[in-house]
Amino acid sequence: MELMEGELEQIQSVVAEVLKKFDSDSEQLLPILQAVQGRLGYLPREAMKMVAAAVEIPEVDVYSVGTFYNQFRLNPPGKNQIKVCMGTACHMTGGNIIMDSFERRLEIEEGETTKDREFSLERVACVGCCALAPVVLVNDEVEAKVRPTRVDGILLGLGKELNRKKTEVGTEDKAQDPAEPKDIPAQEEGDAR
Amino acid sequence: MSTDVTVMESKYQELKKRASEKAAVLQEKPYVMVGTATCGRAAGALKILDVFKEEVQKHQVEAEVMEVGCLGHCYAEPMVIVYKPGFPALCYGNVDEGIASRLVSDFLVGDDPCFEFAMAALEPNDFFPTFADYPRGVYEQKIVLEACGLIDPEEIDHYIARDGYSALVRALAAEPGAVVDEIKDSRLRGRGGAGFPTGKKWEICRNADAGEKYVICNADEGDPGAFMDRALLESNPHQLIEGLIIAAYAVGASQGYIYVRAEYPLAIDRLRTALQQARDNGLLGDNILGSGFSFDIRIFQGSGAFVCGEETALIASIEGKPGIPSHRPPFPAVSGLRGKPTLIDNVKTLSYVPHIMRNGAEWFKGIGTPESPGTAVFALAGKVVGTGLVEVPMGTSLRTLIYDVGNGIKDDKGFKAVQIGGPSGGCLPESALDLTIDFDSLQHAGAMMGSGGLVVLDEDDCMVEIARFFLEFTQNESCGKCTFCRLGTKQMLEILTDITKGQGKPEDLELLWELAEDIKAGSLCGLGKTAPNPVLSTLRFFRDEYEVHIHEGRCPARKCKDLISYRIVPQKCSKLCDACIASCPVEAVFTRPDMLKEIDLEKCVKCDNCLVTCLPLYDAVEKVSPPITVAVEGGSASE
Amino acid sequence: MSNNNGNNNGNNGNNEKMVTITIDDKQFMVPEGKRLLWAALENGVYIPHLCALEEEEKPSAGCRLCFVEIEGFLNPVTSCTQPVKEGMIVRTRSKRIDRMVKNGFELLLSNHRLNCGKCAANGSCELQKIARERGLKLRVSRMRKLENDAPIDDSPENFSYDPAKCVLCGRCVWVDHNMAKVGAIGMVRRGMSRRVATFGETALAESNCTQCGECVRACPVGALAVKE
Repeated sequence: MELMEGELEQIQSVVAEVLKKFDSDSEQLLPILQAVQGRLGYLPREAMKMVAAAVEIPEVDVYSVGTFYNQFRLNPPGKNQIKVCMGTACHMTGGNIIMDSFERRLEIEEGETTKDREFSLERVACVGCCALAPVVLVNDEVEAKVRPTRVDGILLGLGKELNRKKTEVGTEDKAQDPAEPKDIPAQEEGDAR
Repeated sequence: MSTDVTVMESKYQELKKRASEKAAVLQEKPYVMVGTATCGRAAGALKILDVFKEEVQKHQVEAEVMEVGCLGHCYAEPMVIVYKPGFPALCYGNVDEGIASRLVSDFLVGDDPCFEFAMAALEPNDFFPTFADYPRGVYEQKIVLEACGLIDPEEIDHYIARDGYSALVRALAAEPGAVVDEIKDSRLRGRGGAGFPTGKKWEICRNADAGEKYVICNADEGDPGAFMDRALLESNPHQLIEGLIIAAYAVGASQGYIYVRAEYPLAIDRLRTALQQARDNGLLGDNILGSGFSFDIRIFQGSGAFVCGEETALIASIEGKPGIPSHRPPFPAVSGLRGKPTLIDNVKTLSYVPHIMRNGAEWFKGIGTPESPGTAVFALAGKVVGTGLVEVPMGTSLRTLIYDVGNGIKDDKGFKAVQIGGPSGGCLPESALDLTIDFDSLQHAGAMMGSGGLVVLDEDDCMVEIARFFLEFTQNESCGKCTFCRLGTKQMLEILTDITKGQGKPEDLELLWELAEDIKAGSLCGLGKTAPNPVLSTLRFFRDEYEVHIHEGRCPARKCKDLISYRIVPQKCSKLCDACIASCPVEAVFTRPDMLKEIDLEKCVKCDNCLVTCLPLYDAVEKVSPPITVAVEGGSASE
Repeated sequence: MSNNNGNNNGNNGNNEKMVTITIDDKQFMVPEGKRLLWAALENGVYIPHLCALEEEEKPSAGCRLCFVEIEGFLNPVTSCTQPVKEGMIVRTRSKRIDRMVKNGFELLLSNHRLNCGKCAANGSCELQKIARERGLKLRVSRMRKLENDAPIDDSPENFSYDPAKCVLCGRCVWVDHNMAKVGAIGMVRRGMSRRVATFGETALAESNCTQCGECVRACPVGALAVKE
């Protein structure tokens, strides 16, 4: 990934600040990486190199840790983070269908970020609100009982322009869809059980 | 240490006095408790909290608005407790902003407790039933969950007022060996899943000869459907801290860790606050309560790897390495963190400890079954009405748990199976409903206590697909070190995926079974050894479903996407309603010249939306399996 | 590491005590505490293995091929982790062991680029040796082939690295870290994505690899191989 101008210097100063707060001990590796990611949103290459030098272990060992744990990301996250719960209850109520819908709309796969760095899409393990399944975390706010039709609504709410071209079927009928799907009885019905 | 006993006692009595006074003051005024654990927040509890604060201010009511943890009734979140002197404390569920403001204006200002919104009272009274008057309350017996949702987790005095930390005083007054004996005597078994006798583990660690020892609380809860550890951390962190200090004293450790998933930020916050309060009150740190025993606890944030629930992987992770398990022996109790004897216990296990120290081993043995004393905590999920966290005595039958405690199956559907123990557990059929739950009976039946996830499946759930789901989870979480787990689970997953797509081969079932057995016997760690359980148990009890997928290309539950089609039944379609068309995210539903709706099967992504959307009055959308083959012009394959 | 209470690897210098063990009905005198795999191999009894290194203090026990049955043990035991004791009775073959080795072996092959004819390790490959010793086929018969299409790294001057042939035994990483003391390669990622790679997964020539060749000598298969 190409860094933008000034990014390298920013990374270096942030990592230097973080390193000051920890012992230079390889046991501190996880907390250090967590702190770096907490500040930068991801683990840039340069940051991992600096951490490796500080705790005196081979760079590749830092990389091993950075690529082993789910928490760490090697690329910057999107401005909006969408996390689809893949816990058991959400799975049973169609979490994977919701994931499919986001993938289709954002044209990325789970774990990826859109090219414009606006959205990233992830799966998370159980968020613990199984009664509200399926659940999506939109910038850490919970969206409960999400139906695929709600996906467009969520993305619109985040300022995504949905040019409704049907990439997946390749039919180019109807250049502009007149309206977003209205809120249909599904919601009420679902809530009333 | 007998000279210190009186010092400790008096120091504790001071704390207790302060806490009791505070508790008494609390009862003099109205108060509102909002459950703001993660589950409550997900349902909007913070908004409700704000409404209460605003309304209380607006109406100038002198009432305290507090945050508490989780009461376990997930289906009714957000939940609040409202107390006003002269009334019993009342609990309200599914509270929205309107109800919240009415509870202030009508109840706190007026004198109408709004019974129409109330779920239960907290104590017996003449007005309203209590939780104990419902079936769930009859069968539940709360020990570790008892105070959850009733105390402010960020207020140590709430815990102390309920005799919190008195067990620590009892422990510190005794010899460490006596504490180990008490736990051994109680026959407490590890709640992390396998049920190893806790006291025995403590004894091994205590007897290990080393200058330095560690205790670690394993709060790396990773089961995709269990969240009781998080609930305990968020609702009653002091209970766990007290248990961990007692464990440290018993085995002779001076440093402790709580290994929490970084995905649990609220739990980490509340834990951090609780640890600081414990230190500020002389309950943690140097010379605890003047006993001469020093011990401190650090929080270690796990970085999201299910395998770190495995003790050796957890240790590797604390040491700054990838969480890859290593061969045992040596067991951590002999050689663990930094090569030193290390005791690792689960959150629930440690949360029982203060209760056992306070009430005695005999009391504990009086609950549950002889081989598995105490209670079991389950996260009820799936097609059960009363989802949430429940705590029942060991030995409760599955039937009681699902039909009485959990209030039965949703939408009056037929029960099909119950999955217990998450990715390491198994699926049990209807014939197992009268099985009484304990560590051994579950294992014997082909499931496992595991982390306590309990998912109820109904007639609409496909057993192959459920097995595939859990296997996909473990496969994703496999560290990749050992052949059987890395490649074996992948191989099994490929086979299962093929079966759910109708591409299974008759000989696959034999291969699946053989691989499952070899992975169980051949894997390096517990993750791999238990990974095949969901497949083995479904193969054992629901083999016919596998066979129908393979031989008939059909999914009996109409769940497997590749084996179903959606269609609109012309005789049922109303013609005048467009709901299905609006609901389709890919414009696959269209109106025919005769106004009937139809689904273009080539465009359909099988999202289920039209089926859910179609009004029950018409009920015109249906799923069919095997799928309709798109051969007829225009996709009209309906008649 | 004298204070380590765990597995010790047994080679405790000269004054070691000898014990008698029985492997497949033959008796052997071996140093007490020596790990069974090495005790067997030194005495001419073959047990399949890929990941074990005798110098390694804590065996990785990752390849899961060196299973044996030991009297008194309910389940098969990895011989690389098991210290020998006086009177130990061992079987290297049984129905159960043979099936586990056969399936474990086929699992490895299912994820291995199989073109022995063109492979630099042809003839010296440990997988071929296991197949020969245990009468196993060098092809995937019952299982799904799990394709691994990672590209070959040809960048070093004298050797090349083919990740699709790697069995993830970890020996190269161990010698890189502990013998050559370079720290150029490590095990990165997790699960099915786990692989031997450099920092940032760059080509070896672009890393701090000194191309000393230790890792090539440690590789039991043709993943790290000297260029023709």
